[in-house]
Formats: sequence, structure tokens, C-alpha cells
Amino acid sequence: MKTKPRVAVFDFADCEGCELEIADLEEEILELIDIVDIVSFREVMKEHSDTYDIAIVEGSIMRPMDEARLRNIRSKAKILVAMGACATMGGINKIRNQWMPDDVMTAVYGDADLEGNPLFDVFKTKAINEVVPVNYYIHGCPIDRDEFKHVITSIALGKKPEIPRYPVCVECKKNENICQFELGAFCLGPITRAGCKAICPTHNSVCEGCRGLIKKAETDCVKDLLERYKLSYEDIRRRCTMYNFGREECGVDE
Amino acid sequence: MKTITIDPITRLEGHGKISIFLNDAGDVENAYLQIPELRGFERFAQGRRAEDMPQITSRICGVCPVAHHFASTKALDAAFHVDPPSAAKKLRELLYCGYIIYDHILHFYFLGGPDFVVGPDAPAAKRNILGVLEKVGLDVGKDVIKHRAYGQKITAILGGKATHPVCGLPGGVSKGLSKDEVIEIKDMIVSCVGFAQFTLKVFDDVVLSNKKYMELICSDGYSLKTYNMGLVDKHNKMNFYDGKIRVTDPDGGEFALFDGKEYTEYIGEHVEDWTYMKYPYLKKIGWHGLHDGKNSGIYRVGPLGRLNASDGLATPLAEKEYKRMVETFGGKPIHSTLAFHWARLIELLYATERAKELIEDPKITSTHIRNDVGAPSEGVGVVEAARGTLIHHYTVDSHGLIKKANLVVATTNNAGAITMSVRDAAKAVIKGGKVDEGILNHVEMAFRAYDPCFGCATHTLPGGMPMVVNIYDSKKQLYRRFSRGVDE
Repeated sequence: MKTKPRVAVFDFADCEGCELEIADLEEEILELIDIVDIVSFREVMKEHSDTYDIAIVEGSIMRPMDEARLRNIRSKAKILVAMGACATMGGINKIRNQWMPDDVMTAVYGDADLEGNPLFDVFKTKAINEVVPVNYYIHGCPIDRDEFKHVITSIALGKKPEIPRYPVCVECKKNENICQFELGAFCLGPITRAGCKAICPTHNSVCEGCRGLIKKAETDCVKDLLERYKLSYEDIRRRCTMYNFGREECGVDE
Repeated sequence: MKTITIDPITRLEGHGKISIFLNDAGDVENAYLQIPELRGFERFAQGRRAEDMPQITSRICGVCPVAHHFASTKALDAAFHVDPPSAAKKLRELLYCGYIIYDHILHFYFLGGPDFVVGPDAPAAKRNILGVLEKVGLDVGKDVIKHRAYGQKITAILGGKATHPVCGLPGGVSKGLSKDEVIEIKDMIVSCVGFAQFTLKVFDDVVLSNKKYMELICSDGYSLKTYNMGLVDKHNKMNFYDGKIRVTDPDGGEFALFDGKEYTEYIGEHVEDWTYMKYPYLKKIGWHGLHDGKNSGIYRVGPLGRLNASDGLATPLAEKEYKRMVETFGGKPIHSTLAFHWARLIELLYATERAKELIEDPKITSTHIRNDVGAPSEGVGVVEAARGTLIHHYTVDSHGLIKKANLVVATTNNAGAITMSVRDAAKAVIKGGKVDEGILNHVEMAFRAYDPCFGCATHTLPGGMPMVVNIYDSKKQLYRRFSRGVDE
């Protein structure tokens, strides 16, 4: 039998919720261990190895020291997977980019003197693919556990993971929900990538776009809906400021 | 030493870093904890729609998103001058119990418990969940996983998802509970009550009946005589979701009882130039340095803080355990830092019993789950996060946009106490410049009792949080450095 690919998990600036989603796979994690060797995963194990094939990276890049660390990880990994909205597109952390880093620092730390401390040498938030090439993406805030298993299994088997390119509306309809627009709310579902099982609108909350935008061309299936509410792709995109700050469309390789 | 004091309060997050300073004799002069990372949530908030806040702030921490979600939702209730319907409050509190159940189980079996269950002197490789399972048996392991998953499932049913729920809205919740879901949740909760009782029995068998552990728990090195803080209901019983903030003094007397919105009158914040950790303190006592006692404004929050600040628990089984704990320590307040672990398990039992009361309430399936909001202004929301009192404070403009946000986070409330506990533990083990890897565990034990949550740092399973310990000599030159779990 071929040797199992070695997987390492790393985190940058984020809440660690996606890593916890992996930890919360509980018994199902055993199925994963059948096909990959987890050699480094700070949140759940003490062992650490610098030899790995697949690096799964969570979190956003905030500082020169983060960039250096990420480049080092990239140089060691054959495949790099960006996991969770903070990593795939900057997510919540990119909201900060409306302001200069110094301004944010003052808002949080007041007048404390932080000059010259590399830990606080903060630049504008970057997604992982703004620093190094990314091979695969696991979208969402947090990630969907089933999709995580699918992506990792596919990579381990040498197949391309199947990630939806259609909007959340498709899954929302499947769940027989009343459209959030019908209820008078503003939902980002029509231009947001599906794959989350439309979990938020199913819980009677609007979609906030945590899985990133789909391409404009993929919104054909919601043409009627957009017409009914007199909306364009751009109209909705302008409201995508929670997770998709500064993004225009989905990236080429996502 | 140069000091700065900043008001209002903000927060810190990131990896834990401890600096220990030695004097000429090589003994510990001081020890500091640093939490260095900037994400800037206070700044994020400005100009955003107020109703975005429960979503955005829950992303501060993937471990306790539920606490942020509801502190935020409650701040919005207040800011929009709306009192949610009774069923909505019950649904929120039930979800909250689900969160406490999975989080407290996580801490006891995975994070803090291994120090006791396996033993403080056991090799590091054994002080983890696997070591715990070896000691208590594999079947228990399956039960641990099952009941943690139940807590998450309850949270997911009520919140849409377990991590980062989406149900909280100003004036109520987005979705009610169906009859089928009530049955599903009830079965899980009944099982959780039994599991919580079982866990207390494990603590009894392994810790309380071991004289050596009890001596350690009661030892001076692990004791701090501070003020205590926590939410209480109108009978002064501990409450996670709602109530007034009560503070008791180091002798156990009531020092203050106030509404969340008055917090700035009671809590101040102190900053020193050698660390970016901020130290909240009781304004009326003042900041008098890092020491305990009645003349120091430092207070503690979290499981032990809550039990000390309240007059017990409102459910029968947990109340019985609470009384037994108080009796064991010869009365209240209990100053032993390691008693946090016991208090946490009593709270776990309380959360399961309270959840059972809520799910058995026939009115919980009411479809009246949201009230209309009024014109926005300013609001403060307070909940008891697993790790202690959590305060969100928003100022909202007439368009419903956030003008200003302040967050006082549970772990920050404990900052002064954690720093002192770290220092005292370091003092006890470092003498004449002699230091070794063993100090890591003693220092860790001191602050792991608080289950500190630095956004990133602490939730390392099993048993080994990423940590850097720098030791400096009397000339402030780096003398020794220990690190682990940090790829530098």
C-alpha cells in the first residue's frame, strides 16, 4: 500500500473555530486517520513534525512575521489548503482594512507604547493566496465538517474536490424555506457559494456570504429572483461587507 | 515603574507569553503574562449595522462564540429598548446551557483535569486526555465524547450551528422550537444530568479522596485572597444568562451589586508599560499593584468567582454539591485557585439541571419569540461566559449603526489574578537561579485553573498550551528560554 500523505494543520489570526470543527468530528476523525497521517495540529496534539505533504492553513496574515512563517510552510508542503473564511479570503479580519493599522491599534490599545515590537508590526489583513499560491479551498465561517472530510479525502485519493459553484439559494430552496427577500430581509444567498446546506436562512437568518462570492455567470439560476426584487449581482455585492470586504468576484482558482 | 491607566476597557488575544524576572540572588522578582496579537474588533464594529454585532463578535473566539453572541444580543436588546418575550429568553438560556455543557466537559477531561486525574507529577506525555482515559476507562471516554457532542447538538438545534450561532436578534431569537426538537433535546439533557453527576463522582474518587492532591489544592502557593465577581439572580443565586453583577470581598461580604449598564462606575482598567495585558480592577478600591487582599481592587471571575460571589445555585443537585464544597473548605469564600476545577463541575451539573427545567417548560415551544424594537441608543449586555463575566457595550446612532463598542472579556477580568498566580507558582519553584522544564507544568497549572482563553493560545488539547517562558536575570538580560507548541 502507498504511504499515507502527511497532513499538518497551522493557524494564523483567527478564532480557531475551524480547527475546533475538525476536533469536533469526534469519532469520524478516525476515518480520516485511515487515509492520512496527521503529523502536526497544535490545537489537538503535542507532537509536531516539519515533514508533511499537505498543509492546512487557518487564519489571516497580519504581520511580516506571519508572511515569513507562511512562506516557510508553503516551501515544505506539496499541497496547501486554505481553510475557513479568514484564510480563503480574509473574512471578518478584512473589515479592519478600512482603516490604517495605526488607527486600529489606537482603538484597541489606547496610548500604550507598542513601537518596535514585531508582534504588533501589523499591516493590512491578507488572505493566504495574497502571500503564497493555494491549491485548494475549504470555505465557510466556520467550515462545514462534511465538506472538510470530502476535500481532504479527495486530495488524499488524488482527485479534485467538488465544491459548489452555484448559489446558496439552490440549497435554501431544497430545504423548502421561505425566501428571506419575501420576508423583507436582505440576504446575500443569491451570489454566495453554496455548500453550507443553507444553514443560516434555514434558521431564519440571512446569508452573510461567509463562503465567498460565486462568479456572476453562475447566478443565471437566480435570474428570476433577482428580477422579482429588482436586484443585480452588483447590488448584492455592495452589501457583502462582513466576510467579502473589498472583493469583487470569486478568485480565479477557488 | 512607568504606568498608564486607560479607560474604557478593551481586550487582548493571541498566544500566551510569560516573562519571569529574577533578582540578584536568582529568585523570582516578578512574572508577567503577555498576550500579543491584534485583530481589532473594537475598530471593526464602528459604522456597522448594530444587528451585525452578534455575528461579528462571535468570531472573536471559536471556543466561546455563544457567550459573545448573547452578550452582544443582550446589548442590542438594551440599545433598542426591547424586552424579548419570555419564550425567547428561555430558548437563549437553554442554548447557553448547551454551550456550558460542552465547554465545561472539554475543560475537565481535556484541558485542566489531566493535572489531577493523571497527577501533577506524571510525565507530560501522560497528562492528556489519553492519560485520563487510561485512568478512568475507555467506556468513560466514549461517554465524554457523547455528552460533549450532546452539548454541541443542543446548541446547533437552537442556534443553527454549534460554532457561531445565528439565532440571536435584538428583541428575541430567529427561530422557535418544534415539539419533535423538544423530545430530542430532552433525551440528551436527561443523559447529561447523569453524566455531570458521574463526573463529580470521578472528581471525588480521584481528587478529593487523595490526601496529597488536597494538600496541593489547599497550599498557599495556589491561594489568592481576592474579590470575586459573577452574575446573580434576584435571590443572589448564580446565573449564567441574566441578572445583576455581584461582587463579594475577600472575607465573603457583599461589596457591590449592580446592573450591567453601570459597569464603568465599578470597573476600571490598568495598563503597565511592560506588558500589553490590561488589568481590570474595582474602581472603588483602586489599583494598588499586583497583590491580593482587601485593599487591592483585583477580583476573580469564572467558576470559582461565580460561586464565591453568589449564595449558591438554584437547582437542587448542584446546590447540594455546592454546600459540600463549601463545607470541605471550611466555609466561604474559597481562595484556592485549584478549586476552580471543582466549581466548574458543580456548574456543569447546574447547567444540565437548569436545561432540564427549561426544556420541560411547556411554554418553551411558544411561537411568540420576538418583540418589536424601539429607537436605538446605548446598551450593555452581560453574560457569564464559561470563563467569567463578559460585557459588551455598544453606542448605536439613530440609523442603527454602531458608533462605539467596548468589550470586557472574561479572561481579561482575571488578568490580575492570573498574573499573580503565575508569579506565585514561579516563586515556589525557582530558587537561586535554578530552573528546568518542570517549571512549565507548575506555571501552567496555576493559570490553567482559570481556563484562560486568549483567543488562540489556550485551547490546546491535550494538556499542553503553546507557551513561551522567558527568564531574565537581574540585568534584564535573557537568561533561559523554554517554549513549546510554538513554531517560531
